[in-house]
Amino acid sequence: MENQTLVKEICPTTTQEWIKEGAVLVDVREKEEVAQLAYDVPNLLHIPLSEFEERFNEIPKDKKVVMACKSGGRSLRAAGFLVNHGYENVVNMQYGIIRWVQKGFSTKGDTASVLGNDGGCCSSSSCC
Amino acid sequence: MKTIKVLGPGCPKCKTMFHNVEEAVKQLGIDAEITKVEDIEEMMKYNVLTTPVLVIDEQIKIKGRIAQIDEIKDLLK
Repeated sequence: MENQTLVKEICPTTTQEWIKEGAVLVDVREKEEVAQLAYDVPNLLHIPLSEFEERFNEIPKDKKVVMACKSGGRSLRAAGFLVNHGYENVVNMQYGIIRWVQKGFSTKGDTASVLGNDGGCCSSSSCC
Repeated sequence: MKTIKVLGPGCPKCKTMFHNVEEAVKQLGIDAEITKVEDIEEMMKYNVLTTPVLVIDEQIKIKGRIAQIDEIKDLLK
């Protein structure tokens, strides 16, 4: 992912382990993207980036939190936003649901919707 | 002199915003320093979520959409 030091980043495999240990996965993709394909994990919170500034306090501060999106760009910014707002247990999942699907991890919906083009986040309506 | 920044990871919308800023400055004939910020750590300092973002003299003016030339000109007057 991009070189930055503010937010720690983990891969989808490590994310699986964190979730088994009780971490919360926060999906920041927009509603229409989630309607096509969703992460299938317990402890899942969906807060679209377009609503994030108003709703970020729904995220618990006392648990490990993994931010995720389509390819890791938007979730990284959301994670940085949380760190700047006092969250200490936040990490970003690199490569997003694209790599998650490639790894064969559990989802609900049409995987072709993300594997078709690797346009990254820019192709979504919320503009990267 | 005005300092103007366009924040965004370099997607098509960000490039359009940057072009609109250049055009607005040219049309107004003002002295301005225009910078495109694509560095993620730099963007995070502004708590940027949706991009592109227009920052004028360190004040966020527009975020999450492309600013039109006339709109930018109004903000620069």
